[in-house]
Amino acid sequence: MHPGVTPLVEVEDLHVHFGAARAVDGASLQVAPGEVLALVGESGSGKTTLIRAIQGLQKPTSGEIRVEGTPVDNRSRRQIQMIFHNPAVQMVFQDPTGALNPRQTIYEIVAEGLRIHGQPKDEAERVAQALSRAGLRPPERFFQFYPHEISGGQRQRVVIAGAMVMEPRLLLADEPVASLDASIRGEILALMRHLVDDVGLAILVVTHDLGLAWNIADRVAVMYLGRIVETGPTEQILDDPKHPYTRALLSVVPETREMEQQILVGEIPDPARIPEGCRFHPRCPLLQSGTLPAEISGRCPTDDPGPLAVGATSAAACWAVSMLAADG
Amino acid sequence: MSEPLLSIRDLTITYHGHGEAVPAVRGVSFDIERGGSLGLAGESGCGKSTLANSLLRLLPAGTDVKGQIILDGQDVLNLSPGGLRAVRWTSGAIIFQGALHALNPVQTVGDQIAEPMLVHETAASDSVARDKAIDLLRRVGLPAARADSYPHQLSGGQRQRVLIAMALACDPHLLIADEPTTALDLMVQAQVLALLDDLKQERELTLMFITHDLSVLTYACQRLAIMYAGRIVEEGPAWDVFAGPSHPYTRALAAAFPTIGDVSSRMAPSGLGGDPPTPGNLPQGCPFHPRCPLARDECLVAEPELRSSGIGRSAACILV
Repeated sequence: MHPGVTPLVEVEDLHVHFGAARAVDGASLQVAPGEVLALVGESGSGKTTLIRAIQGLQKPTSGEIRVEGTPVDNRSRRQIQMIFHNPAVQMVFQDPTGALNPRQTIYEIVAEGLRIHGQPKDEAERVAQALSRAGLRPPERFFQFYPHEISGGQRQRVVIAGAMVMEPRLLLADEPVASLDASIRGEILALMRHLVDDVGLAILVVTHDLGLAWNIADRVAVMYLGRIVETGPTEQILDDPKHPYTRALLSVVPETREMEQQILVGEIPDPARIPEGCRFHPRCPLLQSGTLPAEISGRCPTDDPGPLAVGATSAAACWAVSMLAADG
Repeated sequence: MSEPLLSIRDLTITYHGHGEAVPAVRGVSFDIERGGSLGLAGESGCGKSTLANSLLRLLPAGTDVKGQIILDGQDVLNLSPGGLRAVRWTSGAIIFQGALHALNPVQTVGDQIAEPMLVHETAASDSVARDKAIDLLRRVGLPAARADSYPHQLSGGQRQRVLIAMALACDPHLLIADEPTTALDLMVQAQVLALLDDLKQERELTLMFITHDLSVLTYACQRLAIMYAGRIVEEGPAWDVFAGPSHPYTRALAAAFPTIGDVSSRMAPSGLGGDPPTPGNLPQGCPFHPRCPLARDECLVAEPELRSSGIGRSAACILV
C-alpha cells in the first residue's frame, strides 16, 4: 500500500474471543482504495470471524477497526450497528441462489438497499447503473425477471449489483465463486477485477482458493489460527512464499505440480488450545526437517514470534525467516 | 491386455417426471482398466453423477437405462436382485459427496463401517466386523477410539475419511468417488487425495473420480473424460487433456483454474459465458455451440461424434 493513502479499512491487533477460544488473536490488516486483498486461510483460521467483525456483526474483544479513518468504539453497540449500515461497506455472499429472494424481481432485489437507506428520487437510474456495472446490459431488460429466469452467472451478477447500488468503497466477499461452476467462476472474477480497475472499488476477499488470489488480488494475507502469519504482494507470496505454512499450502495446490508436496499432518488445532510458542510449530515441516540451527529450533516451541507489525507490507511471522534474514 | 474392470457401452439414461422425458446421459461409452483411474469432469447437470449412480443401479425407480454396463465381469443392467446385492459394495463402492449427509447421525461410525460387512456377509461375526472396522479407521488415518464417535463429533475431513473406510469395508475392486473433496480445505483435500492414491496402490483399486475441478482430477487420475450435456466430449490421458485440450469446452474449463506463476493468467481470470443447456431442451447441432467461441454455421447442422484427436485421445468437435 502506498504511504500517505488513508486505508479504507484498518484492523489493528484485533481479538475476538468466544470463551477460551481465541478465534481472532491479534490480527492486523489494511485495505487501500482501489486494491484487492485476498485473505487466505483454512476453516478454523478465523477469517470469517474477522470479516464479520469488520461488518459489525461480531463484537471485538479488543483491538481497533477503522473504516475510512474513523475509529469505531468497540464498546458501543450503536456505533457497531452504524458501521454495519455504512453503505460504504457492502457484502457479497457465497451462494447467489440463497442470497436472492425468489419472489422479488431483479429490480426490487437491487433497489432494496436503497430503500432501506431512504428512497432516493433517482432510484430507477441507480438500479439501472448498478446492473449495468455488474455487466447486465441493457439493464432495463432484467428489471422484471425473477431469479429463476436468469442463469447462475447472472444471479451472482445481480448479487454484486445489489451491493454496487449503494456505491460502496469496499466490498467484502466471502468465497464469492466457491459454489459456482468452473466456467462461471472466471467471468465473476473478471467482473470483480473490472470494478476495482474502473470504479476504484476496494475488495477484501476471503477464500481458500489460491488460484483466485492469482487471478485478481494485489496483495495476499495468509491467516492461521487467528493471526495473519504472512502478508505481501501476490506475486511474492505465491511465487516465493517465506512462511513454512504458506509454502505448504502452495505445494498442495493441484495447479502447481512442480513443487514437492508438503502435506501437513492433522488439521488446524482448536482455537481454545492454541499451541505455546509459534502457533504453527507442532505442524511445521521446516522445524520437523531438523535442518534449523539450534538457536532457532529452540525458540519455536517456546517463544511466540508475535503478530506481524501493524502496517507491514511484506512480512512473515516465523523465527526461521526473521533470524536467517538477520544473519544475511 | 486383460479385460477392463469396467466397460460401458452406449449408455443412455432418461428420467421421466412431470410427463416429460429428460435425457441425462446420451450414449456414453468408455472402459477403465484394472488398476486404472478415470476422472469424469463437467458442470452441474452434465450427467456425471447420474452416470456414477447408474453403475451400481442406484437411480430412482422408473428411470430408463439403456446400453451395457459390465463391471467385474457382471452385466449390471441384467442382474437379479441377489446378484446386484453382491456387486454393490464388493465389486464397486461409492464414496458419496457431502460427508455429513451421507452418514447416519445416530449411529457410531464404527457400527456404520461394520454394517456393510454384516449385510454382505463378508465378516463372519459382529466382533470380526468391528475389528475390521477399527483396522480400516486406522488405515484412513483415524485413531481406533474414533469408532465410538458419532458423525457430528468429527471434522469434515475426518467424516470424509470415515466414508472412505466404509466404502472399503467389503474390499471393492472399483471405488467411485463423487466430489470427495469439494467441501474440504486445501490441505485436507491434499490429505484425502494422498490417502486415496496410497489405497489405490496398496489394494490395487480401480478409481473413478467425479468433480467439476479439472485440476484435482488431473492430479488424481491417469485419464480424463469431459462431459457436456450428457455426453463425453473429450477423453484422453489426464495431463495431456488438461495441458493441451482439443475441445473448446475443455479449454474453457481448464483455463478456469489458473496455473499459479503463469503470467498470462495473472490479473486475467478466464471464464465462459452462459449456462449449460437444460437436458430436456438441448440446442440443435453441437449442444455447446451457443457458448462456443469458435462456433460456425456447420456446428448447427449435426451433433459431432467423438473422433481421434491424438494418441489415445478423442474429442467431439468438427474443428478437431
